Amino acid sequence: MADTTLLVGDNPFHNISHLSQERTRLKEKNAITPEKAADLISIAIKNGADGFMFSVSETTLSILKKLKEKGQTDELSLHAIVPYAYEYVKLATQVGGISGLARKVGARILVSGSLKGIATGAIGILRMEPFTILKTYLTYEVSRIRSAAGKTMHLECVFLHEVITDLALALNMEWLFKSHIAVSQKLGTSPGFNTCNFPYLMSKLREWNLDSCDISVAAPFNKIGFQMSPSKNECEKTLQSLDKRILVAISIMAAGYLKPREALEYVRALPNVKGIAIGVSSETQAQETFKTAQQIGNSFRSDHLK
Amino acid sequence: MGKMGLVHSGILNVLPDVELVAMCEKNGMIRRFAKKLFRNLDIVDGLDKLEGFDLDAVYVTTPIPSHFPVAKAILENNISRNLFVEKTLAQTYAESKQLADLAQGLRSITMVGYLRRFYVTFNKAKELLREDAIGKPESFQAYAYSSDFLELEKENKASSIRGGVLRDLGCHAIDLALWFFDDLAVKPDEARINNQAGDLANFKVEGSEIMGEFDVSWRKENYHLPEVGLSVAGSEGRLSVNDDQIRLVQLNGKSLQWYRHDLNDNVPFWLGLPEYYREDLHFIKSLRGETMANPDFRSATRVDKIVDEVIG
Repeated sequence: MADTTLLVGDNPFHNISHLSQERTRLKEKNAITPEKAADLISIAIKNGADGFMFSVSETTLSILKKLKEKGQTDELSLHAIVPYAYEYVKLATQVGGISGLARKVGARILVSGSLKGIATGAIGILRMEPFTILKTYLTYEVSRIRSAAGKTMHLECVFLHEVITDLALALNMEWLFKSHIAVSQKLGTSPGFNTCNFPYLMSKLREWNLDSCDISVAAPFNKIGFQMSPSKNECEKTLQSLDKRILVAISIMAAGYLKPREALEYVRALPNVKGIAIGVSSETQAQETFKTAQQIGNSFRSDHLK
Repeated sequence: MGKMGLVHSGILNVLPDVELVAMCEKNGMIRRFAKKLFRNLDIVDGLDKLEGFDLDAVYVTTPIPSHFPVAKAILENNISRNLFVEKTLAQTYAESKQLADLAQGLRSITMVGYLRRFYVTFNKAKELLREDAIGKPESFQAYAYSSDFLELEKENKASSIRGGVLRDLGCHAIDLALWFFDDLAVKPDEARINNQAGDLANFKVEGSEIMGEFDVSWRKENYHLPEVGLSVAGSEGRLSVNDDQIRLVQLNGKSLQWYRHDLNDNVPFWLGLPEYYREDLHFIKSLRGETMANPDFRSATRVDKIVDEVIG
């Protein structure tokens, strides 16, 4: 049984709870600052975490900058999710829909000074070429991350957010999956797909002959089957059937519904898991959760060797 | 073809025995891009171009002010007899009623996208009310809040394009209250709306046996995601429900709580929210069975009637 990468998740840093918004509001006054988040990540790393999984936003980029300033980030493995869907949906609402959103994002890329991205994209954008637009956008996001993180952190994987992955899956957009794989490799990162439809995605990747590519899939896996479509049983069966480790398990505590130990015991017993993301919002949690994850991992590993 | 157009297209494309054949988009730039994105679909620039497709149903997901002319043209020109229109059905009660009458005359299967009816929490609440879990409901307080326009200047163009907060967000709370308690009418002297920016509203309603109050705003602090909720006081307890959870407190001291997690929230395909799948599946099943969908145009006109009564 190979080592599983343990990642600090970013939901608490965005003050997001998928259990209830009411809980989020109660915590609003004590929202975690980028400084505090960077401290929590550092504590988690000292207790067994290997990296940070985050949606790319001003908040998480500030956290990366703080981590860089603190100099506690040697070989920290970064797993980014793009786009930060909440921010883009809100922006679309404010600017009057998708065409307004496209103009805003285009303007951001222009003013970002991501010259490589702009040069790559100018002609393709004018021609409305989806591949070039995706490439320009990913180049922009990767350059933001690398600029904030510096050279000591390693951008391991860039996941397409579940809203994009699942929409592309639903609309059978094979080209988008192929393009993301191709662009990510050019940018020196591993391609990833975040989905709530793990079995459906794996079946489509097989159909498109993409299942042998070196990709990662971030999908909810938890003891109660929360957000595991079509069902917990189907997700587990698909995972079991894989011949390699591609899964980064997310939502393992089902948005705070489960306690860390029971959540970790479930997910540590699953096959083909290459990574686990867990959110923490206090020093105690950062210490205990990742220690527990390591202990449970070690015990499964020794059982496996026996 | 905004956000909602894409979501419904995606869900329809994965539903068994449903074929998504065409999208209609007036914006030339988006249409050009869509043709490259969705290579297996016909992307057309006007409703008249949909006439040759022999469609079983059309989804209208344009901004609210255009629902009436678009839906009317589809029905009158026989582009499709069956229609799904995103909420609210139209910009005024008069327009809504006209659409409902037109659809009734054509024996259409119709539906309006009041998504909250497909949330597991609100379904559980309706079940509890039906089982008299709080005795006889006597009063309720409903809210619909978001922070979407909190940081923006008061006069925002996008907020008016969306039809104002009452029509865009408040309609969900109104529809739920009508679904739970049937007929309600606005108390005319107790409605307050910020007409200038259309971004907050407060009003009272009464039904034959219940009184209620609504509070609606999209400039509310700390509502990062839009949220709708109701708190119902009954003769034997109180029930509070929102998008995420339900709390039941009975006068006998019994107290229960459910989250989405407890209410079998999974669907065969998850896109954005599980409710979209349940909503589209319901419409497709209604089409197949030639049965009435919920809410249909007639039922949805009641929301527009209340909105008109508040706006005055």
